[in-house]
Amino acid sequence: MPRLVALIGIVLLCSASAHAAELRGRVVASDGTGVAGAVVFLRTPVPPPPGVPPKSAVMDQVDKQFVPRVLPITVGTEVRFPNHDQIHHHVYSFSRVKTFDLPLSKGEEAPPVVFDQPGVVKVGCNIHDWMMGVILVVPSPVFATTDDGGAFTLRDVPEGEVAIGAWHDASETAIDAATQRLTIGAAPPSDVTFTLAVRPDKARPAVHGGRGNP
Amino acid sequence: MTWWATRRLRTKIFVAIAALVVGLLLATLWLVEQAVSRQAERSLTHELMVTGEVFQQLLAEREERLMSNSILLTGDFALKRALATYDPATLATVAVNYRERSGVDLLWILDEQGQMLADAAGREPAGSKAADRPAVAAARETGKPAAAIAAVGDGLVQLVAVPVLGPEMIGLLVLGTAIDDATARDLETRTGSSVTFLTADRLFASSWDPATRGRLVLPTSGGGVPYLTTLPSGRHLSLLVPVAASLASPLHALVQRSWDEALAPLRSLRRRMALIGFGALLVALGVGVAIAQGVTAPIVELVTATREVLRGNLEHRVAVARHDEIGTLATSFNEMTGGLEERARIRAMIDKVVSPEVAHELLARGLTLGGELREVTVLFADLRDSTAIGERLTPTALLELLNAFLSRMAHAIEQERGIVDKYVGDEIMAVFGAPLDLPDHAERAVAAAIGMTEALAALNAERAPAAPLRMGIGIATGTVIAGNVGSAERMNYTVLGDVVNLAARLQGMTKEHEVGMLMNEATQAALPARFATRGLGTVTVRGRAAPTALYTLDHPRSS
Repeated sequence: MPRLVALIGIVLLCSASAHAAELRGRVVASDGTGVAGAVVFLRTPVPPPPGVPPKSAVMDQVDKQFVPRVLPITVGTEVRFPNHDQIHHHVYSFSRVKTFDLPLSKGEEAPPVVFDQPGVVKVGCNIHDWMMGVILVVPSPVFATTDDGGAFTLRDVPEGEVAIGAWHDASETAIDAATQRLTIGAAPPSDVTFTLAVRPDKARPAVHGGRGNP
Repeated sequence: MTWWATRRLRTKIFVAIAALVVGLLLATLWLVEQAVSRQAERSLTHELMVTGEVFQQLLAEREERLMSNSILLTGDFALKRALATYDPATLATVAVNYRERSGVDLLWILDEQGQMLADAAGREPAGSKAADRPAVAAARETGKPAAAIAAVGDGLVQLVAVPVLGPEMIGLLVLGTAIDDATARDLETRTGSSVTFLTADRLFASSWDPATRGRLVLPTSGGGVPYLTTLPSGRHLSLLVPVAASLASPLHALVQRSWDEALAPLRSLRRRMALIGFGALLVALGVGVAIAQGVTAPIVELVTATREVLRGNLEHRVAVARHDEIGTLATSFNEMTGGLEERARIRAMIDKVVSPEVAHELLARGLTLGGELREVTVLFADLRDSTAIGERLTPTALLELLNAFLSRMAHAIEQERGIVDKYVGDEIMAVFGAPLDLPDHAERAVAAAIGMTEALAALNAERAPAAPLRMGIGIATGTVIAGNVGSAERMNYTVLGDVVNLAARLQGMTKEHEVGMLMNEATQAALPARFATRGLGTVTVRGRAAPTALYTLDHPRSS
């Protein structure tokens, strides 16, 4: 019986991939200009295929900055925080999604951190207040980052009714308000536009608790 | 004006000097007082303005200190980690702990939305909204530390709200120090000025005692300009310094400095100046008295001298011991009395040389040549046999005798208001009716002749047993020219005319007619009835064409 279930799962997966679509669009600010570095992702969870080892990602520390500054990952991804500076860093996060701190690593590699809940994780360095990074944990591997013109190409979008959300670090638009429900069929909607209220220079409180979960 | 006019000169001079000195003194005192008081006011005002600035700096420093303390506190990783738990129970203890550690009066921990998580004082419940509290709103808006002065509970608190970064704002730490009476007293110690924090309707803190606080009023206008306030402890210069605060009505710091205390040196100066002024006044009054005395004393002396002169004492002189105007006046006075004395002496001398009447006439009419026609009676008297008498006597004795004779004759003539015109040796010429108007000049001349005869008899009686003196008298009445005769430099008052010659001739003829006196017809005709006259016929007098009728007095003693 379990084999049968597994078989059906594989078939479903194959058929899903067989019927996957590509979604193109733009993320713009209120004034119509493209927003670079925004993350567009599928909010509908897609269970990971069993047996597939957890994905891995890296948030590097180079020249007292997090690289990349914004790191979108799928739930369950383990993230390594290698330190390429010749000084100590103390990477931490107080985000509800994942609270951790990796005290004073220099040259050595701390054990990776697994992010098992979707949400926004603000990452800082306790001894360098200006160092800021964001790890966006999304429910599925279906996500994309906008280019300099704000354009994105979302691949492997499953057919049917889906919820697609857009997020940016400086966005003041709640994630639910930046979510579009789309029906993906033989001819996927072209040129989907997400509008975000972005205030680039605005310091923004990191949200805690249940608020702001993607 | 009447008062002034009737006062003594000494009083006037004294009053004038005293008024001048008092006026000058008062003006000086007033000017100095004005200058010093203005200076004191200016420096006190300046001090107060500086205090106002220092005061604002002190408030700013307090805020900065609080701010840097708070920033250091919020950098504490343990605090960040504790805050990230968002557990009110834990954070309440954290708040108390941090308040103790930093020594502040108020410590709140808020979440990033501005909700109260913990209040060290336990007054504000967890979960209450604090987002729109002063400083908190600004800190949340800008993401940077913000400060404010606000009312918390029933007191005034200087607040700072500092975001806690993890790495973005995960919450806020609010620290506050109370602005209470102790703060005001501390500021008073540091600035030397009394300090009160108040709004239009409320007094928050003050360094004043409770009694004085009740008297403090916020002026309706005039911020930034010092003004005077009267308080139980004296006058104070007050300055209203605006303090930025998040209150319903504007908060002010009332900075006050004692005006009376600042002016104490001025008061002492004023006392000293009044003392010096009083001394100067006394000296000036003394000097005034001396000056008044110096001016009036010689005047009094001059007045005394004038009275002496008025009484006829022309020998009185004023002592002169000065060279000013008064000295000049005294000298002039002395010269004047000298002149008067000289004139009186000359007048007395003139009276002796000429008859008083002639002297008077001369003085009255002035010494001018010329004369007037008048009817007069001229009398000539001559001592008979004087040559023989002269031979018997020494010149001194002769002069003595002549003087005795002439003076008695002159006396008799003057008795009848005649004037002795001249003496020519033992001869006397007298005129009646000039220069004095005498209507009865003929009668007077005859009366004088009788008087002369009697006077000679008396003289002879005195000289007995010496040989008696005899004389002849000629009297003629007629028109003459009377006036000053001579040169412009030297002149005589006399009468000229035929009558004068006639009288002289008649005198000469007495001897041959053996009578004491002869008169012409005009004289005889002018005599009243009581004089008995006797005609002696007519003679032709030398130099006269018409014969002249001669008369003599028949009974001279019968009158």
